Amino acid sequence: MTPALRRLHLRTWVVVLAALLTAFTLVLRTASPAQAAYAQIEGSGSTWSELIVRQWIADVDAMGMKVTYSSGGSSQGRKNFAQNVTDFGISEIPYQGVDEYGAADTAGKRAFAYLPIVAGGTAFTYQVRVGGKLVKNLRLSGDTIAKIFTNKITDWSDAAITKDNNGRKLPSLRIIPVVRSDGSGTTAQFTTWLDKEHPKVWRPFFGRSGLTSYFPRKGTAIAASGSDQVMNTISGDAGNGTIGYVEYSYPVSKKFPVVKVLNKAGYFVEPTEHNVAVALTKARINENKSSPLYLTQILDGVYRATDKRAYPLSSYSYMLLPTGAKDQRMTTAKRQTLVDFMFYSLCEGQSKAGPYGYSPLPLNLVQAGFAQLAKLGTADKGVNVKNRDARRCNNPTFVKGDLSRNHLAEIAPQPAACDKVGAGPCGTAPAADTGATDKPKAGAQPTAAAAPGAAAPSAGAAPQVAASTDPETGQPVAAAAVVDPESIAGVPTELTSSALGDRKEWFGAIAMLELLLIVTVPGALALYFRRRGAAR
Amino acid sequence: MRRRLVRGGLALLVVATAVVGPGFRLAPLAQPAGAAPAQPAEAALAQPAGAALAQPAGAALARAAAASSAYGASKTLTRAHVAADGTTEVVDERKVTVRVDQTTGLQGRQRLRVSWTGAHPSAARAANPYGEGGMAQEYPVVILQCRGVDSASVPASQRLSPETCWTSTRQQRSQMVTERAAIWRKDRAASTGEREQKTGISPWPSAKVCPDVDFMSTHLTPFVARSGKVFPACSSETMPPEAATGASFPPAEIAAFTDLEGKGEVQYEVRSAVENESLGCSRSVRCSIVVIPIMGISCGRDAATPADEECRKPGQWTAGSSNSASLGVDAAVSPSYWWSESNWKGRFSVPLSFGLPPDACNVLDSRAPVAFYGSELLSQAALQWAPAYCLRKDRFKFQHNRMADDVAFTLMQGGGAAAAFVSRGHADEGATPVGYAPVAVTGFAVSYVVDKPGNTGEALRLRLNARLLAKLLTQSYPASYSGRQRPGLEKNPLSLNTDPEFIALNPGLDKQAREATATVLSLSESSDVIRTLTAYIAADRDAAAFVKGKADRWGMKVNPAYRAIGLPRAEWPLKDTFVPRSELECRKENPAPYLSQVAAPVSSLRKIAEAVLDAWPNVQTRCERATMSDPWKLGRIERQGVGNRFMIGIVTLGDAERFGLRTAELQTQRASGGRPARFVAPTSTALKAAVREADGGTLGKAFTLDPTTLRAEAPRAYPGTMIVYAAARLEGLAKKQAGDVAQFIEVATRRGQRVGTGNGDLPPGYLPITRTGATADLYASAQEAADAIRAQKGLPGSADEGDDKSDTPAADSPAPSAPAAPLAVPTAAATPPTKSSAVATTRAVTTAPTGDTPAPLAGIALPLLLGLAMVLGVAAPAAKQLVQRRSRR
Repeated sequence: MTPALRRLHLRTWVVVLAALLTAFTLVLRTASPAQAAYAQIEGSGSTWSELIVRQWIADVDAMGMKVTYSSGGSSQGRKNFAQNVTDFGISEIPYQGVDEYGAADTAGKRAFAYLPIVAGGTAFTYQVRVGGKLVKNLRLSGDTIAKIFTNKITDWSDAAITKDNNGRKLPSLRIIPVVRSDGSGTTAQFTTWLDKEHPKVWRPFFGRSGLTSYFPRKGTAIAASGSDQVMNTISGDAGNGTIGYVEYSYPVSKKFPVVKVLNKAGYFVEPTEHNVAVALTKARINENKSSPLYLTQILDGVYRATDKRAYPLSSYSYMLLPTGAKDQRMTTAKRQTLVDFMFYSLCEGQSKAGPYGYSPLPLNLVQAGFAQLAKLGTADKGVNVKNRDARRCNNPTFVKGDLSRNHLAEIAPQPAACDKVGAGPCGTAPAADTGATDKPKAGAQPTAAAAPGAAAPSAGAAPQVAASTDPETGQPVAAAAVVDPESIAGVPTELTSSALGDRKEWFGAIAMLELLLIVTVPGALALYFRRRGAAR
Repeated sequence: MRRRLVRGGLALLVVATAVVGPGFRLAPLAQPAGAAPAQPAEAALAQPAGAALAQPAGAALARAAAASSAYGASKTLTRAHVAADGTTEVVDERKVTVRVDQTTGLQGRQRLRVSWTGAHPSAARAANPYGEGGMAQEYPVVILQCRGVDSASVPASQRLSPETCWTSTRQQRSQMVTERAAIWRKDRAASTGEREQKTGISPWPSAKVCPDVDFMSTHLTPFVARSGKVFPACSSETMPPEAATGASFPPAEIAAFTDLEGKGEVQYEVRSAVENESLGCSRSVRCSIVVIPIMGISCGRDAATPADEECRKPGQWTAGSSNSASLGVDAAVSPSYWWSESNWKGRFSVPLSFGLPPDACNVLDSRAPVAFYGSELLSQAALQWAPAYCLRKDRFKFQHNRMADDVAFTLMQGGGAAAAFVSRGHADEGATPVGYAPVAVTGFAVSYVVDKPGNTGEALRLRLNARLLAKLLTQSYPASYSGRQRPGLEKNPLSLNTDPEFIALNPGLDKQAREATATVLSLSESSDVIRTLTAYIAADRDAAAFVKGKADRWGMKVNPAYRAIGLPRAEWPLKDTFVPRSELECRKENPAPYLSQVAAPVSSLRKIAEAVLDAWPNVQTRCERATMSDPWKLGRIERQGVGNRFMIGIVTLGDAERFGLRTAELQTQRASGGRPARFVAPTSTALKAAVREADGGTLGKAFTLDPTTLRAEAPRAYPGTMIVYAAARLEGLAKKQAGDVAQFIEVATRRGQRVGTGNGDLPPGYLPITRTGATADLYASAQEAADAIRAQKGLPGSADEGDDKSDTPAADSPAPSAPAAPLAVPTAAATPPTKSSAVATTRAVTTAPTGDTPAPLAGIALPLLLGLAMVLGVAAPAAKQLVQRRSRR
């Protein structure tokens, strides 16, 4: 072989090698995360569920989903959604047809579905000081609450309040109800309860029957905008004598006391995740799939639940989900983001409901929610709604084999004897946290929990601790570690862990080196042998 | 021959690494596919570790300099009409220079600094120059983001045009007016076709889609989406889905104001395909920022018509004026016709390139998350760290849940959380010992948005001292004449900017009292941030004396409701109860403590950052009612108009960097003798100076960052510096959970301290913790804590707590399990991660501590197969040779 020919051979090798390398890198590149599998979605609405929604938004951010949420109250959320200003809304109540001011309260022409997202208790938080010290164990009956917010009971020393507290009389202090000034789902939930359970007190005050999103502020009451400001008004130094209604998460994160509300079983209870879960087993969910109100709640049974643990003002919060195939704001990527944001929230997101002062959805509602999400897949074939199994959600309500049962409700501790009408009140010594007053009885899991507000083990711990120790959850750790092989919507696969710097890169590099060697070494060897052969 | 072969092989290897590099990693400077491979190879390898180590001291906090990708260009722009006699009459000519600070490796919602000089001074400044709000101005500079680039060398489909430029409303792109007002038809640069009555789109949409009036002049600038779909843009229904007025996501496009000297500057927020799918900018779809300095339309010759007169108008507002009521302007010099040819051809188009979006966790990953609860200071870091855990099977699903520090600590102690993020030692209520591992150095900032008077731009520097912060927090500014009624506040200045103490520190700002300027938007929940802030106040002699009741030298006194309030404290209470008398019906109906409504703290620092970003104070004093017959209600006041903004809020340093908020300098040293007072901004140098003073940290005890010591010993230290610890129980944690927490600490304090914007990196706003230097003690302490948490054997030698072993916390602890790899890693990260050397180092550090879990088979399969192929490839010729040789024999 002439040297020129040899050189030619070498060049061929080089060219082939370069081509291979290029092909290889191309493969690597296309394996990088698909651009814009997700697109940013915007929502607005409720402050009742805001605290946990914001945490979910932070969680899915790490999954590549961008979600914005502005909390202007449920009424604003429904209005924005109807006007196509947002991609989703969050509201405690369904569209009402007509609002308080006679304007339309409908979704207009926009097709949508209701999707329950989280449960919780509308709590009554208050500031009453005796000798400068915060009273922390106040208990009130529904009737007393109704009369307080309709200005019938105006002083903390009122006989009705004394009676609720088993004869313990508070000093004379003017009651200042704090209500919401903006259109609020919390107000709507509260006034629904007032209208259903205490119509004789509520209707004359309101001037008509039914619920309202805009509380009719009268007399000494103060109106504040949004749950944050209600909480500020009550907890401020000017707040002595105030009482207001907010989702339980607000007093929990502010470490402020909440009223124990009397239930039909004759116990005064707090809106802990357990007591809410117990009460909501009595919620009547609209299960008529063809109804426009599918999955919305009728809470009469909750208000009148006879379980000792049931918290009467328990309810669900809802997302307005745009299901129309021609929705003017929707695209495949946005629908996918909505599906996955809600998949996360309904599934794993429920496990932290407890620590934040909410209560997780039971699995049958989670599954119904998945079915609602599937409508986005129907509207748009490009949306992947597969591989979403409610049983793998680490949901603390899960009971193996029966999705409609609620584990939390079953293990919920019974109220203490001192919480019974005519007994107590519990915790006459001011407790650092409310947990002291309802010590779990037999059957509850033992815990040293000074968990915020909740006496029993918090849900946050459940998925981690319980998964390995508690067979009831049916969620062994080993099974949980399995990662679904089918990646969704171009969410990064193995080769794409760009900046991770893990050993996959090493394998890539090794593969590259080997490829290089495969191409060069045989050639070099062949040359070498040939030369030796020639030399001989 | 052989030598040549080897050389060739080596060269190819170099090419290979260089090409593979960007494929694997986030590569802000990724080469376009067609580029010659040899050049990038050299470029990538030419800036190895040496450059990486050179992090400029005193650089803005961890923000990588991007000078190389800056843009600058100049152009001479002319407004020239055709006179009646056919000659050209030049009415205005200016040389405009436009600069953009960074154009490559961009991420969605990143803010670019766009500045210019030499432009026509603007007039009729709008309160809100974004989107439609900016239309009623004269001579602004229009800035838009458009898909495509301005280059003849790319296919037409990749070129930009008005049709690929994003606007949030149809009013910014389409007009239907009377003939007299249709000045675009008089544009001398317009072609004959463009002077027709109906222009912009062909074929013309049906009357059903776009109702039109025959005798009117109509121009539509349709929007062409990335998908190819054409939106006629004649109504809000025919705009792309991302365009919705009143959406929570405000418009980015702006008609920006030029000052009297011809200068201007804005922070322009770019949007990627994630935020704006229709616009569709990404790493593979090129886009540009288009900057159009409005000079006024140059008009054609038929001067007799009224439309031509309109076209030649020079503007009716005086330069520098404000037009907050959106009154009429001369359309010829307004931004409405930015698309008209004589405006459009004066554009500067700045090509952008987007980086790869960071990898993300998979929503279908059904492993139970390991929940950490606590400090919001860690939010931005946790966001970037999370994928570095969830994407690896040998790690776990890390999740950070924001919660008040003390609530989280209690939750952790009770077993409700794997670990808590806190910034100081918390009272150990339970018997269980808790270990503290420093995982981040960051802090809070006092962020602000303040416009200078007379429409001359934003204030770029704000100085505050502890007493001013005390005045703001204690509600000692009456805010308005309502607040003045409060006994004790009669003589106090109405708001911060009317306080002589503030004016002396910050001369040249406006002195118009606003309610929002009487307060600092702060946190309603308890937080270690508030504790650090109030400790800073307590450590300042003047501020502490003010809180105790001593008047400042101008006679201002503390609000009596807050007099002698205990400091420091983790939760700032609303103490003022004064309800002012008012004749207003609304106030009478809604009696409420006025100053608390002005303060109106919120429940998260992130909300404050967003409020400052939007210049939307949270003051709750606006009276409104739906109809005349409805009762009055109080609610949040309006957003502040641009040109008149003045708002202050407490934010995390992470959020400040993420949103590009301006942060105030805080006083660390009073003026004394001839020495001027010292003010320190939150830079990495200043954080380092502070953390150097951190003291006394041991396994079961957090470090102390004593503000009094800082004042005395380290005047260059930033007072808002805070250390974030992962605190976890040293007893009673399940083995798996203990292992996860220990692993988290190890990874977070090593790989997690590499500065960058990729997965697992430390985002801007944090000072890297390194094994050596100012943070060495923190590093050692973290490793020790990780070991103790993993071991779950309680506090070693907890009996002799009084013993001061803290001086050498790491001395007797076992060496970290990782080999002593060169730990230049954290600093190395400041440069774009394209260097194989730095990568290798990091890898060694990260993988070592996590053990040798076998990698999934799929990952090894390719190398294995190739290895096999290699063996065969080698064996074949050898065998052949052997056979040949044998047969020859």
